[in-house]
Amino acid sequence: MNTVAWLGVVARRPRTVLTAVAVLTVVALLLCVNPLTREVRFHVDPSAEALLPAHDPGRAVLEQVRKTFGIDDPLIIAVRFEPTVYSADNLARIAKLADAFKQLPGVTEVHSLASAPNIKARDDEIDVTTFAEQAAADPSAVAHFAADIEANPLYRSTLVSRDDTTAAFALTVAELSPKDYLRQDFDRRVRAAVDEAGGATAVHLTGTLPVRAATSEALDRTLKRTVPAVFAVIAVLLLATFRSVVAAASALLSVAIALVWTVASAVLLDIQFNLVSAIVPPLVITIGLSYTIHLLAAHFLSRSLLPNARDSQRAEWVMRRISTGLSLSATTTVIGFLSLLLNPLPAVRGFALLATLGTLYVGALTHLFLPALLIALRCTRETPPIATRLFGRFAAVLAVFDLRYRRAIITAAAALIIVGFAAATRIRGGADFIASFGENVTERRDFEAIASAFNGANFVTVLIDARSPDALTQPRLIDAIDRFQDWLRAQPEVGSAVSYVDQLKLTHLALNNNDPLHFAVPNDDAAVKQVLLFASGDALNRLIDPQYRSAVISVRINVDGSQAIGDFLTRAEARAAELPAPLEARFTGSSVLATRAVEALAGGHLASIAIAVVAIAALLSLMFTSVKAGLVATVPNLVPIAVYFGTLGVLNIPLNPTTSLIACIVLGIAVNDTVHFLARFNADAREQGKEAGAVRSALTTVLRPITLATVCLCLGFLVFAASELNNLVQFGLLGAWTLFVAWIADMTLTPALGSRLRIVTLWDLLRLDLGRSPQHTIPLLSGLSMRQARLFALMSRLEKHPVGTRIIQEGDLSRDIYVVIDGSVEATVERHDERRVLSTMTRGAVMGEAGYFGQRRTASVDTTSPVRLLRFNSQDLERLRERYPSIAATVFRNLNRIQAERIARMTALIK
Amino acid sequence: MKAGRWLGVALLAVASAARADDATQKLLDCMRSNVPPSLQIKDVELTSTDRNGAERLLKGKVYASRADGLIRLLLRISRPRDLDGASYLMREGGADRKDEIFLYLPAIQRVRKISGASSDGSLLGTDFSYNDMKQLQAAFGDSRPVLEKPTTIGNRPVEVLRLQPAAGAAARYSRVLAYVDRQSCTALKAEFFEGKTLRKELTAPIDGLKRADGYWYLSELLMRDLKENTRTRLKVTGVIGSSDQLPSKLFDPTSFYRGS
Repeated sequence: MNTVAWLGVVARRPRTVLTAVAVLTVVALLLCVNPLTREVRFHVDPSAEALLPAHDPGRAVLEQVRKTFGIDDPLIIAVRFEPTVYSADNLARIAKLADAFKQLPGVTEVHSLASAPNIKARDDEIDVTTFAEQAAADPSAVAHFAADIEANPLYRSTLVSRDDTTAAFALTVAELSPKDYLRQDFDRRVRAAVDEAGGATAVHLTGTLPVRAATSEALDRTLKRTVPAVFAVIAVLLLATFRSVVAAASALLSVAIALVWTVASAVLLDIQFNLVSAIVPPLVITIGLSYTIHLLAAHFLSRSLLPNARDSQRAEWVMRRISTGLSLSATTTVIGFLSLLLNPLPAVRGFALLATLGTLYVGALTHLFLPALLIALRCTRETPPIATRLFGRFAAVLAVFDLRYRRAIITAAAALIIVGFAAATRIRGGADFIASFGENVTERRDFEAIASAFNGANFVTVLIDARSPDALTQPRLIDAIDRFQDWLRAQPEVGSAVSYVDQLKLTHLALNNNDPLHFAVPNDDAAVKQVLLFASGDALNRLIDPQYRSAVISVRINVDGSQAIGDFLTRAEARAAELPAPLEARFTGSSVLATRAVEALAGGHLASIAIAVVAIAALLSLMFTSVKAGLVATVPNLVPIAVYFGTLGVLNIPLNPTTSLIACIVLGIAVNDTVHFLARFNADAREQGKEAGAVRSALTTVLRPITLATVCLCLGFLVFAASELNNLVQFGLLGAWTLFVAWIADMTLTPALGSRLRIVTLWDLLRLDLGRSPQHTIPLLSGLSMRQARLFALMSRLEKHPVGTRIIQEGDLSRDIYVVIDGSVEATVERHDERRVLSTMTRGAVMGEAGYFGQRRTASVDTTSPVRLLRFNSQDLERLRERYPSIAATVFRNLNRIQAERIARMTALIK
Repeated sequence: MKAGRWLGVALLAVASAARADDATQKLLDCMRSNVPPSLQIKDVELTSTDRNGAERLLKGKVYASRADGLIRLLLRISRPRDLDGASYLMREGGADRKDEIFLYLPAIQRVRKISGASSDGSLLGTDFSYNDMKQLQAAFGDSRPVLEKPTTIGNRPVEVLRLQPAAGAAARYSRVLAYVDRQSCTALKAEFFEGKTLRKELTAPIDGLKRADGYWYLSELLMRDLKENTRTRLKVTGVIGSSDQLPSKLFDPTSFYRGS
C-alpha cells in the first residue's frame, strides 16, 4: 500500500483515528499523573549534576568526596549583628541559633562559633571549648575573639565576616531534595529562627540546595507560565488568522495531546526535566502549532476548491496536500534535534530524544488526527483567509525583487555567512550560575551578600589522593600540600582554603603551649600521626580520611559563572600537576561540575551543527533527487545560523547550555520554510513551464502560511523572554531573532537560488504514474531504469488533455516535443480544406521533434481520447544534461534513434 | 576490667547521683553489684571501620578503677608502633569537681590536661568519642533515669532505661536508651539520640556476655555512628581479671604514661 492509498484509508475512518488517539491519550495521562495521589510522575531536576553523564569522572570524584568525607557543598546562613558579632549576647544568640538550625529538617551538622573550638593553651592545659562556651563562661574573653579568629586559618573569613558584623553557620544538610527544601519551608523557618533569637539586622542564605530549590521553583513557574502563555498567544493568532473557534480549538487540542504524549514518553524513558529539557514542552507546542497552521490553511482551501466533495474526500485531499511538506518539515526538524544526540551530555541527549518524539507526535497528529477532528466537529464554515490580498501583493513585489536582484541577494547572503562566522570566532563559552537569576531575586541577593561579606560563596573541593594508607602523614608530602594551599590562597579568586594541614599545625601549636615555632608540620610521621590522633573527630574527618590516604582542601572562591571558574580551575589544575608523586589532585564540587557541563556543551555543539547541516543537506538531496538541489535548499539555512553565531559574537553573549541548542533547533525548524517554498515552486514550475512565474506563484501560495508559522514560532520563543531565568530569556529572544532571519532568507535567498532550478521531489518520483514498464513501452525511455524514466518525466512536464484538444498546430513555430503516455492522438494535415489523417499515435509515440530542430510544425495533432503527454523542450533537455547527464545521453540517443528510424521510414516511402 | 563492665561502671557511677523510683533504683543497684570495687581490663583491640570500609586497628590496654565511686580510666596504646605509648587518662570529678582528661603523646613528650573537649572529639580516632564517655556520665549525672516498658533482645528480657539530660544541661545527646539485661544487669545495647535522630548505637552480642570471678561482663562491644556510617569494635582479647590493688601511678596525671 503506498502512502497516498494509506492516507485515503485513514481519511475514510475519522472515528477510528479519534478513538485510537483518545485511548492513547488516556494511557499517556495515566503515565503523567497518578490518578490516586494526583501527583505528577515526571520530575524536575535543576542541578548541574543532572546535566552530566552518570559516569562522568567529575561526578565520580564528587561521590568519592561525599562518601569518604561525608561532605557536600554546605548551606550557608549569614546573620548580621551590628555593630559587631563579638559580644557575649550575640555569642549567646549564635549558640541559640545553632541549636535551632540543628532542628531544621535534614540538618545533620551546624558549624559556627557555637561549635568551633577556640583552642587555648595555658601552661600544661589545653582548653578546647567553643567560642560560645568561652563567652558564656567569661564575657571578657570575647574581646580576644577577633584576634583569635584572624590567627586561625580554619576560621578566618569563614565563621565571621571580614568586617566582624556577620556570623556564618555552615549547615550540612543530608538527603533533602530541593522539593523537600521548598515543601518544608526551610528558608522561612531559618528566618523565623533568626527573628526569634533577636539582635540580628539581616539574614542571608545560600548554597547549592537553596539555589537549586530556587531554580526548581523558577523552572516550575516557567513551565506553568510558558505552556499556557504559548497556547494563549498562538490561540489568538489562529483565531485571528482562520476566524474559526472550532479550527483554533482543534489545533490547540492536537498540540495539547502531543504534549501529553511527550511528557508521558519522558516518564516512560525516565528522562527528567532539567535546565535543558524544560524547553521541550513549549518547543513542542510552538512547532506543533506552526504545523497546524499549514493544515488549517489546506483545510479551508479544500472548502473552496472542493465545495461538493464528501468530508472524507476533502480530508484525503488535505492530507495529500500537506503530506510532502509536513513530512519533510518534521524530518528536517527531527534531524536538527537528533544531531544533538552526539552531545556528550545525557541531558542534551535526553532533550534531543524528547524533542524528536514531540515533533513526531505533533507531525502525526497534525497529519492524521486534526483532519479527522475537523470533520467530526463539522468545521465547515467558509472562512476566507485574512490578508490574502495583502500577502498576494507582497508576494508579487517580493518575486520581482528576488528575481531582479538575484545576484545581489546571493552576494549579500554569502557576505552575511562570512561575516557571521567571522564574528562567531569571538564567542566565548560560559554560563552564569547565580547571575542567571534576576538582580532582585532573593537567592541572588543573598548569594551576593554572603560572597561580599566572606569573600566568596562558591565552593571548590580539591581531592588529594596519595593512594596508600598513612602517606599523608609524611612531612614531605604535607609540606607540598601546604605550599599548594598557600598558592591557592594567593589567587585572586580564592577567599579561603582550608585543609587538614591547618588543623595539624594548629593542634601542634596548642600541644606546644602556643609556641609560634610550633605552628608547623611536625618533623616525623609518627609525630604527625599522634597529633592527628589527638585532633581526630568529625571536624578532622571532614578533611582527611582515617586511613590518612586522601584529604580535601576546601576552597571558597569569590567568582561565579563557568568562565571565571573555568579560568581558575585551569590554573589550579596546572599548579596541582606540580604536586610530587604520589599526590594527585582532582577538583570537584557543584560549581566545578556545572562548569564542566558548560564546557562539554560548548565542545559538543559545533559537531552537532555540522552533523545537522550535513544530514539535512543529504536528506534534501535525497528528497529533491539531486545533490545540487539539496545544497541549494541548504544554503539559505546557513544564513540564520551564521547570523545567530555572529550575534552571539558581536553582543558578547556566551554559549551556555541553552544558547548552544538554538542553532540546531532553528536549523531544523527553518528548513521547513525552504522545503515548503521549493516544493510549491517545483510543482508550479512544472505546471507553468516557467521558473519566473513559478517564483511568484509559489511565493503567493506559501508566503502567508510561512509568515504566519514564523510569527507563531517567534511568539512561542518570545514567551520565554518572560522567564525569571536569564538563560531562558536569552533562549527566547535569540531563538525568535534567528527564526526571523531564517524567514527573511527563505523569502529572498531561497527563491533567488531556486529560480533556476528544476527540482524533482522523491514524492513526485514515487507518485508519478508512467504506466506499465515505460522503459519498454516508450521508445524514448528505452534503456532507462524506472527511476531514471520518472526523473526524466519530472524534469519535463506531464500534461493531461481531454478528447478533442489540439496539441500541435500545423505551421506553428514551437520547439516542444511530445511523448504519448496514455490515450491516442491523430496527426492530420489540411490541404485545400481537406483534412487528411496521417497517422494515429498511441502510447510511446514521439511527436513534434521537427520543431525541436527549428522547423515549423508539419502537421496538427489532436487528441482522440483523453491523453497524458510528456512535454519537453530544448531547455528541459539542457537542464537534464546538466543535472542528470547519463539520463540525458540515453534520451538523446533514443531521440536520434527515433529520428533515424523515421528518416529511414520516410526514405523507404519515397522510394 | 571487662568491656561490659566499662559501660557498667560508667552507668553505675553516675546512677548513684541520680534519683530514681524503686524499680529503677533496684535495677541500678543490680548493675552496681556487677561492678567490682577495682577492675582491670588488659589487652583490648579497637577496630575502627571508616565510610569506605577500611579498617584501622589500635591495640592497647585499658586500666580502670573505682575509688569512692568515681571512675579512673586509662587507655594506653601499644599498636601501631608509631602510636606506642600514647595514653589517655580520664578521672571522674564527681559532684564537686569537673572531670579531668589527660593526654600523653610520645612525640610531644609532655602531659596535657584537656579541658572542655569539643563535642566531636573522638577517643583516639575511634567512634567512642571523648564526649561519649563523658556523656554517659553526664547524662546520668544530670538526668533522672526512668524505666520504660521492658522488651527483649535475642529472647532475653531486658529493662529499658531512659536517660534524658536536665533542661539547660549542655549534653550532646538529647536522650540515651540503655537496654539492660534482666539476668546479668549488663547493658546489651545503648542508643544515643541527637534530637529525634538516632546518632549512635552501642551493641553487644549476647554470646559475648561472660562471667568472671562472679561478675558479668561483655567481651565485645560495637559502637556504630549512624550519621557518619562508621563503626568501632572494642574487643577484649585478654582479661587479667579484677584485682584489689592497682598501681596508683596508673591514674596519677604525672605518671600515668610511664606504664604499670
